[in-house]
Amino acid sequence: MVTQRAVPVGGPPSLDSFVKSITKIEASQVPGMVDHLISLLKRRQIRGSRNTAVATANLLMRVVSATKWSHVDAIISKIREIGRRLTRAQPRELAVGNIVRRVLGLIREEVENDSPPPSASLPAGTTLSLQSAHSTQGGVPAAPLGQPSTSMFSLLSQNPTPQKDKSSHSSKNIKAGIMEGIREILDELSTADDLIAASALEHIHSNEIILTMGYSVTVQRFLLRAAQKRSFTVIIAEGYPNDQDKVHQVLSGDPDSPGNSQIAEDSHLTFQQTLTRAGLIVILIPDSAVYAMMSRVNKVILGTHAVTANGGLVAAAGAAVISKAAKEHRTPVVVVAGAYKLSPVHPFDVEGISEHGDPGKAVRWEDADMVESCDVVNTLFDYVPPNMVDLYITNLGGHAPSYLYRIVADHYRPEDVSLDG
Amino acid sequence: MSEVKKASEGGQPQFDILKHYTNLLLTDSEITMPVAAIESLVALVDACQATTVSEFISIIEGGSDTLKSSVSNAISLSAGCDLFMRYIIQTLGNVGDIASCRDYLRNNGRLFVQRAKDARRRIALLGVNFVRDGMTVLLHAFSRVVIALLLEAAERGVRFKAIVTESRPSGLGKRAARVLRDKGIPVSVVSDSATGYAMGKCDLVLVGAEGVVENGGIINALGTFQLAILARSAKKPFYVVAESHKFVRLFPLSQYDLPFDQDIITYFTDDEEAARVEKEKEEKKLKNIPEALARNDGGIGGDNLNRAWGERPLVDFTGPEFITALITENGVLTPGAVSEELIRIWH
Repeated sequence: MVTQRAVPVGGPPSLDSFVKSITKIEASQVPGMVDHLISLLKRRQIRGSRNTAVATANLLMRVVSATKWSHVDAIISKIREIGRRLTRAQPRELAVGNIVRRVLGLIREEVENDSPPPSASLPAGTTLSLQSAHSTQGGVPAAPLGQPSTSMFSLLSQNPTPQKDKSSHSSKNIKAGIMEGIREILDELSTADDLIAASALEHIHSNEIILTMGYSVTVQRFLLRAAQKRSFTVIIAEGYPNDQDKVHQVLSGDPDSPGNSQIAEDSHLTFQQTLTRAGLIVILIPDSAVYAMMSRVNKVILGTHAVTANGGLVAAAGAAVISKAAKEHRTPVVVVAGAYKLSPVHPFDVEGISEHGDPGKAVRWEDADMVESCDVVNTLFDYVPPNMVDLYITNLGGHAPSYLYRIVADHYRPEDVSLDG
Repeated sequence: MSEVKKASEGGQPQFDILKHYTNLLLTDSEITMPVAAIESLVALVDACQATTVSEFISIIEGGSDTLKSSVSNAISLSAGCDLFMRYIIQTLGNVGDIASCRDYLRNNGRLFVQRAKDARRRIALLGVNFVRDGMTVLLHAFSRVVIALLLEAAERGVRFKAIVTESRPSGLGKRAARVLRDKGIPVSVVSDSATGYAMGKCDLVLVGAEGVVENGGIINALGTFQLAILARSAKKPFYVVAESHKFVRLFPLSQYDLPFDQDIITYFTDDEEAARVEKEKEEKKLKNIPEALARNDGGIGGDNLNRAWGERPLVDFTGPEFITALITENGVLTPGAVSEELIRIWH
């Protein structure tokens, strides 16, 4: 359907057309593609965590391959600058910033691997006896002194001497490594849901009653994987007004039905079998019935738009109500999300996280009389504080909310958390 | 102390670590106890002429013990001392030879002090986003790093108000109020008994810490615990702002597990005796401050004299379950992350 549109201009663009065109353009057109993605993000023509992440990773891959640099700082500052512009264009798509930070981390890692093992942990005027003492440590020079920068010991250890030879890394050497790394990120993006689903059997048991909300590919895959071996009941809150059409389509076993671009974009992800065909008992409820149903639910499984550094969620509106109801009934809340949704950003401004979508979805334009006399608001996201979630399942495994900081620390460099300046 | 003397008998002028430490605290009102302690230990390393490793270690240990015993509540000070001790032992392990180790420590001493001071600035930059336009912040006692964070926010034009608890018996809340009002921030000082009353009006609680313990809880000025409980019950975020050199290896489970005696709860059956003991305590406190120092105050607040002469404000322990997050120079940590930091240093 979208395959013919290879050039970024003309026609309603989508993720597919963007990815296709970015591989074809010449190096001189790369800045134009950055602007193009910015406008796509602004117009919400590419939306959703996975799609924006894929678009960003593809763009950055092209930027890295097309840019010639003599000093790594040049490419780092260039990517930071692009990251700054992209995140400003669409601050609510946290996945964009996550990918930019991952790529920056990749570059830094590549540079560090490329440089000779630093003798930086000791002062320049090190005596000979020092050196020999060092070399006896089995190839890990001064390991205790060169602790990761998060350690308190960084206070006491010597500043790594500024690496003057940074510029001498030929861009060719590390470029290949960076490209490889970005390809791995893209792989991770496409396999994340599968890896998450792999742990489904550990969490869903026979005859359990699972409650979920709206349409999430990650959740669907998770449930389907469990359905291969177990039979259980799924209660789906339809997620009015933004998700109910997709939910209905999935349940009616018609994932190819026209009119829903999101499903079309996800078509390579859609399941050949649907939940009902998988032999599950599926109960569709309106969102208002969540509290009433909660008393008989064993587990709540939610997808999310993004996860903030403190373990909070930015999820589809309705998630907060569900998790609150679950809390009231002491029902465990499990959140499934790819690690790329995990952002190092703190939700400083909870009100600013949410976004108002098309009110026409909540109240049809035919109801003009009513619309004239009142405001209609369609809030897209909820912020769910970390104490409402019991478990996160990412492609790296299951984590308690209080442990997420560790995964953040593993994925992002502290110096890249803020892209400003 | 005796060990220090012994070591410096060989014609060297004796290095008085306590004097050095006291001077540091008196001359620089911005320095914290752990940083002053480490700076003094660095100076001790500088002065010491030890020729063997064990002599060297025993001198440093002696110096650190002298410092610890000089104050009644050595939580943050011992955090600094222990960290430095640990560091020396690791350096010795890597370097092996005493002369180069000393050179290394000499070279890095200043760097360390500089970084510890920079930590406050980094925290201010990291945490400044927690304070937003229109917010009311609730503070307790006087924490330099909390003040630094708030001043940074004010500098950036964030319009916020602050409610400061009086924080008796130290009364340090008034000092915090003075500093903030100086910068044009509207501050209300409320008595400690009004904390529950004021809680509903605030959006955020910010406290400093004397020490951050292994389970992620904090030891801080008396009254922090009740503040945390009130914040929890009102569902207000409770943030601790602390440099990571305040992380200590303690694992208190309750108020009464702290490794020193605080003399907070004392029973009397006789009213007059109670009054007499109270008066004695007050006199003892005044006597502790040498007259010469009190006269040459030079505009440094009484708090500095207190810090230098061992009178520490009373403290209590706040468990990790009450803390939303700790804002440190290494990022915003959950209480669970503290133990990992400590393990990384000590194991």
